[in-house]
This record gives sequence, C-alpha cells and structure tokens, in this order.
Amino acid sequence: MAPTALLEGTNLRKTYRLGGHTTVDALRGVDVTIDQGEMVAIMGPSGSGKSTLMHILGLLHAPDPNHGPRPELRFDGRDMVSLGEGERTRIRARRMGFVFQDFNLVPTLTALENVMLACDYAGIRGAAARTAAREALDLVGLADRGDHRPTELSGGEQQRAAIARALVNRPSLVLADEPTGNLDSERSAEVLALLRRFNVEHGQTLVLVTHDEEVGAACDRVVRMRDGRVRDQAAAVIVRATEPAPRAVAAVA
Amino acid sequence: MTLLRDLGRRKLRTSLTILGITIGIWALVVFGSMANKINALVAGGSEFYTGKVTVSAAGGQMGFGNPLSIDAADRVARLPGVGAVVPGVNMLLSDQMTGVSFGMPQMIEGQVAGADRGRETFTLHYASGRALTSADEGSNVAVLGSDLARQGDTRVSDTITLRGETFRVVGILEPTLTAPDGAAMIPLAAAQRLFVRSLPSLVSAKLDPATVVTGITIYPSPGTTAETVAAEIRAASPDLAVMTGADFDRQIGSATAILNSILVGIALISLAVGGLSVINTMAMSVAERTREIGIKRAIGGGRRRIVRELVTESAVIGFLGGAVGLALGAALVLVVNEAGRSSGTLLFQLTPGTALTAVAFSTVLGAVAGLVPALHAARLDPVAALRYE
Ligand SMILES: Nc1ncnc2c1ncn2[C@@H]1O[C@H](COP(=O)(O)OP(=O)(O)OP(=O)(O)O)[C@@H](O)[C@H]1O
Ligand SMILES: [Mg+2]
Repeated sequence: MAPTALLEGTNLRKTYRLGGHTTVDALRGVDVTIDQGEMVAIMGPSGSGKSTLMHILGLLHAPDPNHGPRPELRFDGRDMVSLGEGERTRIRARRMGFVFQDFNLVPTLTALENVMLACDYAGIRGAAARTAAREALDLVGLADRGDHRPTELSGGEQQRAAIARALVNRPSLVLADEPTGNLDSERSAEVLALLRRFNVEHGQTLVLVTHDEEVGAACDRVVRMRDGRVRDQAAAVIVRATEPAPRAVAAVA
Repeated sequence: MTLLRDLGRRKLRTSLTILGITIGIWALVVFGSMANKINALVAGGSEFYTGKVTVSAAGGQMGFGNPLSIDAADRVARLPGVGAVVPGVNMLLSDQMTGVSFGMPQMIEGQVAGADRGRETFTLHYASGRALTSADEGSNVAVLGSDLARQGDTRVSDTITLRGETFRVVGILEPTLTAPDGAAMIPLAAAQRLFVRSLPSLVSAKLDPATVVTGITIYPSPGTTAETVAAEIRAASPDLAVMTGADFDRQIGSATAILNSILVGIALISLAVGGLSVINTMAMSVAERTREIGIKRAIGGGRRRIVRELVTESAVIGFLGGAVGLALGAALVLVVNEAGRSSGTLLFQLTPGTALTAVAFSTVLGAVAGLVPALHAARLDPVAALRYE
C-alpha cells in the first residue's frame, strides 16, 4: 500500500528581518513530505530552523513568497499558501493539534477547561465537548486531574494535558515542538510512549521537533536539518497499527 | 465564569479601574440628578408661563413684590385679544427673609377660583381633598402644594397658619416638580388682606385690600397668541412688567443650559479619566496575557473571538463601575433629599433615564476602551506571542 501524503511542502523559505538591514535566513528552501499515519521527528542543531519549519507546517506562519521557485504547501491535497488568516485559523482548530515546549495551558482554566477550549474552537460545545474532553484526559491518564489548574499540575502532567488538548478533536495532524524538552528522562519517556500509542492505535500522524536522539530513535523517521536546509530525510519505516514495530512496543511498555 | 476568573486574577488592578469608573458615574448620577431637578423646575415654569401673559408692577420681580392696583386689570381687559383676566396676589409664605434656598421659594397665592374661565392649561392634580371654588371667597381655606403639605405633615381638614391667620386645608396637590409644590393657594380676598397687612403700615393705611393685587394673569382669546397680547399690553401700559413663556425661556432657559453643561461637563471629565484607566488596565492585561493569547490563537482561536472576549471583559469592568457608581450616587441623592425633605427642598431628582444612561454609558465606555488593546491582541503573531517573555 503506497503511503498517501498528508502534508507536502516544497521550496519553503523563511527570512526573519531584524531591525535595520540584518536578516536571518531561517529556512533556505525546504522540501518535506509527511505521510498519513507517520510519526516523524524533526532534528538538528539549535538554530537550524526546526521550529520555523514546524510553524509553517502548522499554518502559524506563511512561507515567504520567493523570488525564485514558488513555495508550495499542500495539506490533504489542498493548497495552503494562498489561504487567508481566518481559514488558516479554522484549519488549525479543526484539523491540527499543537503541543509546545512550555506554556501550553491557559493558566486561568482547569485542565478540563483547557481541553474543552480546543473543542470549542473546533465548534464542539456543551455536553459533547465535556465528554470528549474527559475521555481525552482519561487517555493521557489525567482523569482525576480535570479540575486542577496548570499551576496545580506537575510538568509532566501539564504536558499530558496539552497532549489531551491536541488530540481531543482527533486532528489529522499533531505538531509538537520539543514536547519533552522540559521533562526529565522518565517523564519524557512517558509522554513519548503516549504519543506513540496514539500513533499506533489510531494511525495518528505526528510531527515532533526534538533535540533528543532517543526521541528521534523512537520515531518512524527523522528529518535532519542544518542551516535552514533538510540534510537527510530518511525513508520512512512506518509503524502500522497492524504490525507494530518492536521498538515502538518497547517504548510504550 | 472564566471571565470573572480573569478579572479576579488581578483583583487590585481591576478594583482600582472599577473605582475609576465608579467615581465618574457617581459624578454623572449626582450632577445629572441635580440637572434633572433644575430642568424639571425650568420646564415646569416654562409650561406654567406658556399660553398666557403675566403682568406685575414694573420694578417687581416675577409677579411678587410691589402692589398693583386692581384697576390695571380693567385696563388690560379692554385690550383686543384678551380672553380672561385673572388678578391675583402672590407673596412669600414666610415673613422672614431667610437665605435664598435652592429651588422655588414657598409662596402664598390668592386668586378667585374659576376666573380663568377654563383657559388655564397647567392642570393641577389633587392627591386628596378638593380644589378651591369661587364659593370659598370670604372664608379661610387653603389648598397646599405637595412639598408644603409633607413638610408640616398636614392633611386635609387640618389647619395651617399663614402669616398669622388660620386656614383650614381643603385640598392637597400631587407633586408637580415646580412652583405649586411649595405654594399655599387661598381665596383672593384672604390673600389681599394678608398682603396689605404685610406692607409697611404707612403704605397699608392708605390701601383698601380689595383693590390691591400683585399680578395679573391674562389668557388670550382663541386665535390670538400670548406674544400679541403681551405687545398690546406693553404698548398700552408701560408701567406694567409683562412676561410670557418665551420671555421665561429666554431668561431662565439660557442660564440653566449653561449650568447644565457645566454639571454634565464635570461628570464627563471624570468619565474620560475612568475610560482612560480602563484602556490602561486592558492594555496591561493584554500584555500580561500575551502568551495565553498566543496559545489560544495557535490552537485555533479566531481573531474575532479574542477581541470579543477582551471587549466583553472590559465592558463588564465598565458595567460594574457604572452599577457601583449608580448605587453610591443614588444613595447620596436619597440621603440628601431625605435631609432636605423637612425643609421642603428636594435638591436632586434621579430619573430612571439618568440611571439607565449612566450604566449603559459606562458599559459602552468600558467596551470601547477595551477595543483598542483587544484589536492589538488579535493582531499579534501567535508564534511571537507564544515566545513573549
Ligand atoms: N522571530 C524571529 N526573528 C528573528 N530571527 C528569528 C526569529 N525566530 C527564529 N529566528 C532565527 O531563525 C533561525 C532558526 O530559528 P528556529 O527557531 O527555527 O531554530 P530551531 O531549530 O527551532 O532552534 P532550537 O533548537 O534552538 O529551538 C535562528 O537563527 C533564529 O535565531
Ligand atoms: Mg525551536
């Protein structure tokens, strides 16, 4: 079965302008494809453009309109480059889930309300949202922490709540920027196992930005970046729910 | 719910902001009520003087003061366009010249009931008892205005002493919010007697009370305006001071307009300060919540939604400030009016309109003040907002 591409980017460039004439070429022409059901790590040294790429893939930033070859970004076969901010926001709300390194949760809301917020933005409200949010919290093992505020949760629990929020709408794509960056190795393994489980059980497509070689090793494929370019895009070794790779099982266990 | 939590998160700052609005709205309510009272007095006066001409002896003030011979009434009655002529006596209720009090002075008014032949358009309503009739001429009976009655806790068939004579109360008026509230209405003959007795004895000795009045009210006949009749009287009798509704509006109306704008101006300045403090609070609140706004935008919160949340929050601040300001203002109005009740002077009049305007205004003010920071927040780049320190 040939894998179908969920996300296809070509000629992605991003130049940040600082004050004056100083510019930083964060992305210098990246081609990247994420297949349906893949769990991909984006790795590379600090400043190599990993976050920048993730922001573009997650429709948080638009790629620069190039002078040379036009940038292209297709999500589910649909062109994303020409979309306006309103439509991009809608797609983020309904088709994508985000986990960031820190400051993931709205501090005034409880864990449950944080998860429900994502439902709300996706157009699901009331009892349906509450049920979905409870289930999502249950899946990440936080069923009894729903009424806790972020300050009343441990770092790992906050991160799991954020994962519950990213997953609650069953998005096509979950993007995570260093989701384990602030966690000790034990918590980090826990979070990673959780993500892997969703990938295996639900065929959830995941893109993880990480520094951690262990996290990279736990993924199906690693996209390596350096100086704003993709250096190596190893062929996918896709772990399917039907034939779980031994390594993935080990990570879950 | 979450909104209240967001406000509660910064209790001190939110409270101070609400206090700022509170002061503004308090000022608006208090000064607005004062302006209402003045306007009611003026509007009542304006209504009272429209459609008729009031004549007094030149040199007197607004129909009370100098004696006028009743002959003047006969002279005026012969002029064209005059429908009804009502001679009357208006005098201060009190013989002591106390300090000028706010509002209309309390008066004794004497007229022959029914002399206007039904032309008076300023209708009086009776809270209890009856109106004076022409049959009351010769007896000491009185109808009291609402303030006057309340002041002495006087009821119908009680007696009241006016300038040394005892009168039996036959009727009590509903409040009119203007002159009649502080008036004691008595038959003309009795008023003439009281008036002449109040004059210095050298003057009063030579006067027959039955020939002395202080003012004449002239009602034009149908098809003639008060202005036309006033012009006739001015031409025929230069010794008379003539006043119409238009004159009243000119003299009093412009003065009140200035007073009103000063009062409202003070209130608006306080509100502007309150509004700026809402902008400040919301701007700080947005800055403080930059990362949170970044998270909301990143996970799919629309710009409009962000704006709506923040604007609602500042509208609530405005509303709370308005409600507290209104409550404090209303309390002051009540206390001061209650204190003034014994002397029959109500300083303020808080209308539902003023109350509603104050709260609506502060709510809108809050919303508008929150709009600028909210729009700014919605325009933030979600990624930059997430990284904001
Ligand atoms: N908002 C910005 N303005 C200016 N330069 C930026 C901005 N964001 C990133 N950069 C620059 O772009 C380059 C790529 O940044 P990016 O955040 O994508 O790196 P990264 O690979 O995620 O690094 P790290 O592993 O440290 O998170 C860096 O040199 C960085 O300094
Ligand atoms: Mg990064």
